[in-house]
Amino acid sequence: MDEDVLTTLKLLIIGESGVGKSSLLLRFTDDTFDPELAATIGVDFKVKTLAIDGNRAKLAIWDTAGQERFRTLTPSYYRGAQGVILVYDVSRRDTFVKLENWLNELETYTTRMDLVKMLVGNKIDKDDREVDRNEGLKFARKHSMLFIEASAKTKDGVQCAFEELVEKILQTPGLWESDNTGQRLQLGEQQQGGGRACGGYCSIP
Amino acid sequence: MAADSDTESEVFEITDFTTASDWERFVSRVEEVLNEWKLIGNSEEKRLSEKSEFTSGTWEENFEEINFADFKFEITYHFLKQEHVKSNKKEELEEDAVPLAVQNLLSENNDFPPRAHCLVRWYGVQEFVVISPGSNCEAIISESKCNLLLSSISIALSNSGCQVPVFVQIQHKWRRMYAGECLGPGLRTDFEMVHLRKVPSQYNHLSGLLDVFKSKISCTISPVPPVSIAIRFTYILQDWQQYSWPQQPPDFDTPLGGEVGGVEFGKLPFGACEEPISELHLATTWPRLTEGLVVDNDVYSDLDPLQAPLWTVRVRTTENPQCLLGDVLSEFFKLCCIKETAEEILGRGMAEDEGKENSDISSALSKLTEPSATVPIHKLSVSNMVHSARKHIRRQRHMDESPLNAGILNTILLYLFPDAAVEKPSEYTKTKSEQSNTPGKTEQDKNSDNLFSQLKSAPSDSLTYRLALCLSLVNYNYGGLRAVAHVWQEFVLELRYRWENNYLIFGLAGGSPDLRCCLLHQKLQMLNCCIERKRARDDARKVLDEGKERAHRESGSSAAAVTSTKEVSPGKSWDSWSDSEEEFFECLSDQGDMDAPQTEEEKTGSKRKAEGRLHQYNSMNLLNSSEPLYVPVTQEPAPMTEDLLEEQSEVLAKLGTSAEGTHLRARMQSACLLSDMESFKAANPGCILDDFVRWYSPRDYVEEEVVDDTGSLVMKGHLSARMKIPGNMWVEAWETARVTPARRQKRLFDDTKEAERVLHYMAMQKPADVTLHLLPCLIHGTILKLKEEEATENIPSVQISLQQVVSQASRLMQTPARDYKRLEEFINRLIAMETVITQARSLKAKFSICDKAENREDLEIFVRSLLEEPEVLVIGAGQGPAGSIIHRMFVSAQRAAVLAPLDEDLNQERQSTESSRVPDFPSPAGREILLRTCVPRPAPYSKALPQRLFCVLLKDEFRLAGAFSSDTCFF
Repeated sequence: MDEDVLTTLKLLIIGESGVGKSSLLLRFTDDTFDPELAATIGVDFKVKTLAIDGNRAKLAIWDTAGQERFRTLTPSYYRGAQGVILVYDVSRRDTFVKLENWLNELETYTTRMDLVKMLVGNKIDKDDREVDRNEGLKFARKHSMLFIEASAKTKDGVQCAFEELVEKILQTPGLWESDNTGQRLQLGEQQQGGGRACGGYCSIP
Repeated sequence: MAADSDTESEVFEITDFTTASDWERFVSRVEEVLNEWKLIGNSEEKRLSEKSEFTSGTWEENFEEINFADFKFEITYHFLKQEHVKSNKKEELEEDAVPLAVQNLLSENNDFPPRAHCLVRWYGVQEFVVISPGSNCEAIISESKCNLLLSSISIALSNSGCQVPVFVQIQHKWRRMYAGECLGPGLRTDFEMVHLRKVPSQYNHLSGLLDVFKSKISCTISPVPPVSIAIRFTYILQDWQQYSWPQQPPDFDTPLGGEVGGVEFGKLPFGACEEPISELHLATTWPRLTEGLVVDNDVYSDLDPLQAPLWTVRVRTTENPQCLLGDVLSEFFKLCCIKETAEEILGRGMAEDEGKENSDISSALSKLTEPSATVPIHKLSVSNMVHSARKHIRRQRHMDESPLNAGILNTILLYLFPDAAVEKPSEYTKTKSEQSNTPGKTEQDKNSDNLFSQLKSAPSDSLTYRLALCLSLVNYNYGGLRAVAHVWQEFVLELRYRWENNYLIFGLAGGSPDLRCCLLHQKLQMLNCCIERKRARDDARKVLDEGKERAHRESGSSAAAVTSTKEVSPGKSWDSWSDSEEEFFECLSDQGDMDAPQTEEEKTGSKRKAEGRLHQYNSMNLLNSSEPLYVPVTQEPAPMTEDLLEEQSEVLAKLGTSAEGTHLRARMQSACLLSDMESFKAANPGCILDDFVRWYSPRDYVEEEVVDDTGSLVMKGHLSARMKIPGNMWVEAWETARVTPARRQKRLFDDTKEAERVLHYMAMQKPADVTLHLLPCLIHGTILKLKEEEATENIPSVQISLQQVVSQASRLMQTPARDYKRLEEFINRLIAMETVITQARSLKAKFSICDKAENREDLEIFVRSLLEEPEVLVIGAGQGPAGSIIHRMFVSAQRAAVLAPLDEDLNQERQSTESSRVPDFPSPAGREILLRTCVPRPAPYSKALPQRLFCVLLKDEFRLAGAFSSDTCFF
């Protein structure tokens, strides 16, 4: 069934507990919203195939628990991820303030230096917003991330967030074509070997 | 075969190409190709090349295959790539402008280009087409064939109006004989060539060659226009004399004499074992002479190289000189392809020993599981233990069969495990292991040098890194594969020994395996985690026993027990301290049997004694009592290496994405949650789930301001909606959680099992596997070494290369599958850098840069460009600082060649007298003489057109390459 799939991408969803990571994922994969979604224990896992520009990419998305105590466990699964969605709750400033910690954690545990990061401000359907859109924008710019505000409840921005992230990953050379990294290497080698081999060339007068 | 229809005739004529001969087809094919490459007519885009553009610009070529019947020819268009010329040049282009190639004949801008096609050198052309026989075809030797080809060209050129010269290669390929033609409006240039093995004596000088030239152009007008002359003599220096390569090949035997101590297993060797610069070519050039100004005939010559106005130098480097670092690296890399296991390599004797060893170990293991068998560790010195164990092992070995002798093996092991060598071992190892186990250490590494994470190797002070350097050197110097296999076996034995005796492995950052490092490093860290846990457990058990005794003796004086606990386990690392803390409570509370009637007690609530408290949590109180809320001592999560993780995530992913799968996944991972809940319950008697959530997931405990009965605002809290879902995993886990402190829980991490897994994995590795594991570390070491060596030389090309190499390496190393071919190319690139550095060193030594302070900078620049440019101009020619050094080199080489070796003082005495007899320079290895003029041909009233003769005089080659133009308007 994976025959027409261009590549499999590993994505991560991280962020403080209760910001709606699992809800975002559920909205994206099953297009449903469950207000009574149990708190994730450890990590959860979902798969979805997405078509971007005619290419089909299979997404293996790892959803993580946000609780402090689980952070001894979950970062182990960061390995090999090509993209990460960092979620905060626009109606809870404390979840925004902690973003910096999450980035540090990413830095420490991810294996790829060039993975694509996306910041998602979730729960924009709520009335009691505490974090302004501009603050989110500013943070994302500072850390060179993609940024979008979304609501898993109303569907706003969810699909777009995932698509945007995947597109960006596919555009980043060397990030997903694990076997085809040769092209760049060969370039480097060509630069090195400058001498042309030709019987007609003369080296000594 | 003309296809033009007769306009007068009204009859339609049929044009018939069916009978075209092979030759006609060949000609039309040539025309077609010339058309395809747009070489027709006078191209406006091209301009005459500028000064030394042949060297600085880029040459390109187009290539096509054409057939003459079934004979294959290759047709190639070589051209100097030029930026588009500005439009103002267009005006100068007239209808009958002389073709570029003909202008090239007289241009002095690019005489003697250092690197170019021979036709470029001989004729100065900046674009040309060559037709040569295909690679598998025989050469065009017979005269008629040559003429046929030349005629083909003539026809093709005049048919197409192409103004680019076309050459055909005739005679054997090695002779590099070409004949060609260039057609322009009203003119035609013939390119002719003479090639002989010996220089005829009458043409062995300028005057003879001038005669040839003049007779060829047979100029009839008078006065004869002057011939301009450019001359270049090339001298070769091969004998470096005292300027020879200064580096001594390292003596590998001395450092291992035994007593010398500092064995350099941690240092990769560097440098070339042979002279990396094989030859120096000095070209002395007289770029512009006029006939009559200079005399050079068979009896006398004005051409003294010392007086030449232009000196250029190039160096010939030794091809693939043997370099130590590169050798170590490539020899190590070769091990990757060896299929045999260590046992097969070392022979059966060793394998049997292994068997014995294993049986010993298993019995030792069973002993260890008995609590009574634990040894009072603090009384034994580590080095004693290690050494006795090693002796024990060695006694079993057949000494004569092991490829490494005991002395070397000992030094190797001491290099790898330096903690075993120190006099006061217990203290040293403790402080040392603590140092290397501090988490702050890894932070530092990250900041100062993150090369290891880019290469996925290991920190440069780690055991893994040292093992890589050590094995590579063992492989190179001490017996190759067998020795490597031997050291690896010893290494694994030492690991097992340390595991069994609770000694931490020295030189590894503490904590969970660092996933940025190579797998082998992670495995070692894992083993250390196991040792740490086991050690903590054994200590705890011991303390427990002591505590019990003491409790009996001193009737429950718990304070004493506390202090003693702390004293006995000071060697613990940072992450096991909680375990010792746990024991502290154990002593306090371990007075009755708590385990039995748990459910009973749970129901009765807070009457039980609290166990396993870590500290108070944010000065909160329990909801249902006034007791403070305590954070419990919890079990550390299991450390994981990347292969384990891979396995586990595969298992988790395999559960699928259904609700059921999600539930199962959560359940599988809830062991940790459950354990924490049990610990929490033990630390907080009388607590409820709400209390737990306040600590564990504070955002799931919602506090709101509520107006109470009296009308004042009070904070009321409740669990979040998701925690209240009936039957959710958290509630479920809370209900099943028993009241058990962490230390009495089932271990989440089975250190015994994990350690055995690691050790088994290690023992199963073939030498080739080990090599592959360690290759990133060795490459890391090589890059560091190159950086270090480069720093003293400051070679820009190597600097750039080093940067590229790091990113290239990081790409190669991050992918789990190794691409051998690409790795080999990569290693060759590293070797090339070492070679360049050694070349720079050699040149620096030769031009004695250290000696003369005044010219130092100039000379440094000179040496640097020697390495980077094909040919370097010597500023000041023979009189400049570099020039005089070169002069001296030639003089001493000459003297050495001519004179019999004499004593030095004698030599000096004679110097004055001898020097007059021995010429400073040898006879030139090559002479090039370029004659140019512009005369009317064939008749005196024809247009004056460029004529050129390029003469090459080598020891065994004489070549005249002439280009003679003639006016075709009236002939």
